[in-house]
Amino acid sequence: MTTPDSEAPDNFGEQFLDDYFAECDEHIAAVRRHLLALDQQVGEGRIDSALLDELFRSFHTIKGISGMVGFREEEQLAHRIEDTLRAVRQGDVSLNVDRIDGLIESVALLDRRLAARRSTAPLPVLPDEDAAAIQPPDAAAGTAGSGPLLTFSIEFTPTPALAERGININSLRARMQEIGEILKSTPTVKGQGEISFQFQVRTHVDLMARPEWNSEGVQTKAEAHVPDIHRPAPKVASSNVVRVDLVRLDELIRIVGEMVTSRARMEDQVKQARKNLPSPEWRAMFESAQTMARQLRDLRDGVMRVRMVQIGEIFDRMQFVVRDMARESGKRVIVNVIGQETEIDKFLIERLMDPLLHLVRNAVSHGLERPDERRSAGKPPEGRLTLRATTIGEKVSIEIADDGRGIDVERVAERARATGLLAPGVPLDDARLLELICYPGFSTRVEADRESGRGVGMDVVKSTVEALTGTLSFSTQTDQGSRFCIEVPLTLAMADALIVTVCGQTYAVPQLTVREVFEVEPSAVRALERNEMIAHRGSALPLFRLSEFFKLTEPHHSRDRRFHVFVTGTGNNALGIAVDRIVGHQEIVVRTIGDSLVQVPGIAGATDLGDEKVVLILDVPALRRSALQERMMRTGN
Amino acid sequence: MPQATGTESFILFEIAGTTYAVRSSVVQQVQMIEHVTPVPNAIPVVEGVVHARGRVIPALNLRVRFGFPKVPFDLRSRLVVINSGGRLVGLVVDTAREFVFIPDTSIEVPPDGLSKLSGKYLDGIATIKERLILILNIEQVIDVSGLEDMAAELPS
Repeated sequence: MTTPDSEAPDNFGEQFLDDYFAECDEHIAAVRRHLLALDQQVGEGRIDSALLDELFRSFHTIKGISGMVGFREEEQLAHRIEDTLRAVRQGDVSLNVDRIDGLIESVALLDRRLAARRSTAPLPVLPDEDAAAIQPPDAAAGTAGSGPLLTFSIEFTPTPALAERGININSLRARMQEIGEILKSTPTVKGQGEISFQFQVRTHVDLMARPEWNSEGVQTKAEAHVPDIHRPAPKVASSNVVRVDLVRLDELIRIVGEMVTSRARMEDQVKQARKNLPSPEWRAMFESAQTMARQLRDLRDGVMRVRMVQIGEIFDRMQFVVRDMARESGKRVIVNVIGQETEIDKFLIERLMDPLLHLVRNAVSHGLERPDERRSAGKPPEGRLTLRATTIGEKVSIEIADDGRGIDVERVAERARATGLLAPGVPLDDARLLELICYPGFSTRVEADRESGRGVGMDVVKSTVEALTGTLSFSTQTDQGSRFCIEVPLTLAMADALIVTVCGQTYAVPQLTVREVFEVEPSAVRALERNEMIAHRGSALPLFRLSEFFKLTEPHHSRDRRFHVFVTGTGNNALGIAVDRIVGHQEIVVRTIGDSLVQVPGIAGATDLGDEKVVLILDVPALRRSALQERMMRTGN
Repeated sequence: MPQATGTESFILFEIAGTTYAVRSSVVQQVQMIEHVTPVPNAIPVVEGVVHARGRVIPALNLRVRFGFPKVPFDLRSRLVVINSGGRLVGLVVDTAREFVFIPDTSIEVPPDGLSKLSGKYLDGIATIKERLILILNIEQVIDVSGLEDMAAELPS
């Protein structure tokens, strides 16, 4: 968090850059959408010129703002794309699949460069300017030099002496036309009848480096940015959008969260006041408190909504990936998008980006078959990929489904048995299958292919989703396809939590990770080798004592007392986590723990319950992983 | 006291009877210690976490850091919140109450014989009115990366 005084002029540039990146993001998102639409139209042979205009506008803006922040290469790249689009708009060239590909590649490059700029990673190299796809057809002709396209203003004042040496307005004009394009020429009459000419020239030749362009009678100046004079500069639609730093929003959410906790306290106090107040007075107070509770809920929802973004933008990005992959692999894919208006927390969606892309890549490269394969299997040649988002209560579900060949269950089983991950004779249901394919390093494909073998693996997909207190589920059917479903809370900033105590310490447990809670009689605990188990719902539930994992000791802690257990995970994955007591249930504001000194296994963050004391939030998926590791070590596995 | 050139302001605090000083420019605030939440399996020098300026920050026990036995908190115990390049770290000290100006000329290089004591996290020694003050290099004090080994009893 920055304090107001640290936002002094020092990091003004930084703030400015943030705005720049945000604006570029918006434009690139729009560009993606428009290019996808255009791509489809090219296939159908009709082109909507409004789309071209929109694209042109976006690149024009990116060019302008890149110039303003001094990112010359980005400016140049946007400029070149703009030139191509201009040629298309003027009908000089036609838009075909190759040109669209070129545009898409350029956008991807621009996007990568911007990402690198943002993270100060090494910048991807710009291609040579003669990369055909983004080369405007007219720019190559008659230009010398290969530098960036620059604009100069040249002032020429003819004199008789110059004329004698053959330097006159016509010779100068010819020289300018040799090296570039004259955008504008204006004669000016000066004081004593003296006349001078102002030219604007666009050229690849850096005139500032050529002495002859700055000699007697000729004055040349570089111009940073010249609006397109062939067509009036497109007007940028004024917008009612305000950009807000997520940090500031977090601060607001924190305050609202504190109000939520204060209100909970007030509610208790109002209840207690009942016995001391006359009924009408108490009722009035009670009703005011109720009204405030409702208003506070509205306020909270309102602030939360500001953090929400539509998932459509992410879906657009995926369609790009699919399109690229389909082209490279010769597959045909129809992407079905459902629920792109579904809103999800900005923080969450950014973290889900890589896992979602991985699932999409997997679906296209492994799931969907080639057209000929599909035909012989009696399917339409086009594979179908469905991206669906829906809101269910306080959760968002994102589904990625294909109608491809499905996962080769037998092959997975074979490999799992060979590596000892699956006991012989154990059947393989969808849940177990998911567990296996998410096992670190487990993949049925030995060769890491380009599309799906890079970046994250299924294990990372699963752990990322779980770290966001979400769940990953999966189903597959031979020749029918596979379906992955990610469910995450709408927002991470607030959560419903169980409040538990262990050895005098208080912890919060995100409720989404808890399946059920119950009380246990100490005598019900059975020791199986060195593991503790309890019989629960007809099966043995492994017990994980938080006090042991956290090495907590306290005089009051007695092993003879009844204790509470909360269950996390399902089926074979279920684990009972033992605490002393579950003391309550509360809505909490989740704060991250930023300092690595206090980032420890099993703790996901911190909150407070209204008394300023820090209460740690348990990282239930991490606890489950630790329990599993412990069990494996105990059994010498 | 007017601030002349070659004079810096310091916050003084005490640990086990020794007076230490940190530059006041790095001190965000000094607060009473009400409640420190222990962090399970953190390294011993970490007392726990506290709220400071809307953030959850680590609190280091300087007694543990300097090799003294821990004592229970009392009314004199203080948390000195250090801002080191944006990172906030709280230091648990026996007491802290003074704000002083120390002229450069009063600060000496620590003698070699002292290096066994607070060793490399000393910036110098000052003598004010017969009182010896150890001036801390706060970066070294809060850099406990070398102490990670002490957390060897991590869950197996």
